[in-house]
Amino acid sequence: MPHVLHATAITRRFGVIEALRGAELRAETGRVTGLIGPNGAGKSTLLACVAGLDEPDSGTVTMDGVPTGATRHATSVFLVPDGARPWVDQSVAQVLSFFAAVHGAPSTLVAELHDALLLTALRTQRVGALSKGQGKRLLIALGLLTPHPFLLLDEPFDGLDLRQVRDVAALLRTHAERGRGLVLSIHQLTDAARTCDDLVLLDAGRTVAMGTLEDLRQRSGRPEGGIEEVFLALT
Amino acid sequence: MRSPKALGALWRKEVRELLLSRAFGLLLIAVGLLVGHAFITAVQTYAEMSGAGGGAAALTQGLSPLDGILVPTFGAYDLAATLLLPFVVIRTFGAERASGAWSLLVQSTVSTRTMIIVKAAALFAAWLVALVPGLLAVVLWRSYGGHVNGAELVTLLAGHLLRAGISVGIAAALACIAPQPATAAVATLAVTVGLWALDFIAATSGGIAEQFAAFGPAAALRQFEQGLVHASTVVVLVAVLASGLVAAMIWSVPGRRVQARLRLSAGALVVAMLVVGLASRLPWSWDVSEDQRHSFSPEVSSALRSISGELTVEAHLAPEDPRLADLRRGVLARMERVVKTRFVQRGGGGRTGLFAHPDSAYGEIWYSLAGKRVMERSTIDNIVVETVLRLAGKEQPTTGAESTYYGYSMNSEPRYAAFLFFLAWPLFMIAIFWRARRVS
Repeated sequence: MPHVLHATAITRRFGVIEALRGAELRAETGRVTGLIGPNGAGKSTLLACVAGLDEPDSGTVTMDGVPTGATRHATSVFLVPDGARPWVDQSVAQVLSFFAAVHGAPSTLVAELHDALLLTALRTQRVGALSKGQGKRLLIALGLLTPHPFLLLDEPFDGLDLRQVRDVAALLRTHAERGRGLVLSIHQLTDAARTCDDLVLLDAGRTVAMGTLEDLRQRSGRPEGGIEEVFLALT
Repeated sequence: MRSPKALGALWRKEVRELLLSRAFGLLLIAVGLLVGHAFITAVQTYAEMSGAGGGAAALTQGLSPLDGILVPTFGAYDLAATLLLPFVVIRTFGAERASGAWSLLVQSTVSTRTMIIVKAAALFAAWLVALVPGLLAVVLWRSYGGHVNGAELVTLLAGHLLRAGISVGIAAALACIAPQPATAAVATLAVTVGLWALDFIAATSGGIAEQFAAFGPAAALRQFEQGLVHASTVVVLVAVLASGLVAAMIWSVPGRRVQARLRLSAGALVVAMLVVGLASRLPWSWDVSEDQRHSFSPEVSSALRSISGELTVEAHLAPEDPRLADLRRGVLARMERVVKTRFVQRGGGGRTGLFAHPDSAYGEIWYSLAGKRVMERSTIDNIVVETVLRLAGKEQPTTGAESTYYGYSMNSEPRYAAFLFFLAWPLFMIAIFWRARRVS
């Protein structure tokens, strides 16, 4: 029985700016959910609210129907924010082993992620000296070391080249198949179509559509359309 | 979950961060140089006072290693705790927030409280490492044949540890409240300047500013430097540290609005002020100085202890009048340790010049006990004690020798100190930090 993460009617205002206006998100373990939308749609804010790193003005976040309060957040949802560059003076190996120890990740998983994310050659490199793509791969590894049923990744493909995008997408799918629920905020629509089972389309702080790509096609009235066509039709 | 493995990993991470921190490296090097300079100067001055170079020796009774060597040598730590340690603290608490590492950490099952405590513990461990040059100076002094009283040394070290605690508490709170480490640094410096201003106002105006300043870093440390441990001071310093860490926790927990954080902070402040208010009334104190400078002779102490009721001392002296400082820091400070004493200072003549005052009673010191009052102008110990005992209807005890402390003269050169503090210590530190960065 998969776990279900459900955020409903989330609103968040920053002064006069309404970042979220009743946004909704639904994700299941074992599946990859893509959060797509134009710049400024509120994707990162929604992920922060779902993960408990930001407090929404209203709305609820539940896992299996139970609200994820302050204590449950720590055991249900983990968000890897975009742009984080943690512990710049420490080496990649030190950061990974620290994170694995804090989250109780097995050493086999650490080794697997080293290989899968091409971090082995960077083991002794300082985090501050990593390129943007290398830093992003490290962040993905940190996220995959956590035991939370739901892992939220903000722009996981940003900074990766085409080959790396494909490899990372395959890795994320593997972890979803092992039973985790992944929610990826993605602005490259082709990446989203290639990686995700379900899509949540956010526009101007509102969830415009949710479901598989097929569901979105039907909703947009373009049953044969590609994801870009569907996106443009719905936003 | 606070598994030992997770806690161990957190601890090692904090230690690594400190070892990789340029701020901490600079602090260690600077402390070594400052301690070295202070120690060399202190040893040379002590030798001169002891009659080096054929000069006349000072009265041996006045030659105390605590005042002559330990306090000036460890004085470097006050400077380091005021101006250098806050930057190390801000880096420890603020860098993770700025880099996004904190938002990764707080999503683990280890509580924010635990993470803050581990950070504070790592900083205290770092401060203990920073105390190594001071302890090396003590070892050198002993190797010259110098005398060190263990209780005085431990008290002094405790004072510097608690002094550092104030810096840790304030800087940690500001690092977590401020959006950027640079803002926290500016705010911490502002607090430091504010505390200096408070000391200045206390010295010139007295009153409530003086009461607050008594628990400020400078005044609190001065007590430990004099071999005096006041329970109230210890509790207040610990309360300041704890309040700072609580504020750091309040502002570090994710997903909480600013208004909620402000409400919690206000609540914590009220609790802290209550604790400080209650703690300031704690009467217990211990004179651990070898020469028992904060105590009367046992006979006089016993006679004073037998006084029941509260003694009120009303001094018509301006705050900047040296007689007031003489009275308060000298005989009254000792008196308060054995008799319940309430001190009232009158006379603000200093506002228009040191001795320009319209108060015709200026210079009078009134002692009141159980409805009886007596006036005396002197601030000399024996006269004040005699006045108080007479007021209480007690007999003046016959005392033996004034003091059994004979002092320690020591005529020695500060051998190896320059090599140790100006060359070996900085090179050793550079090697350690270079290696730490290379390994990572």
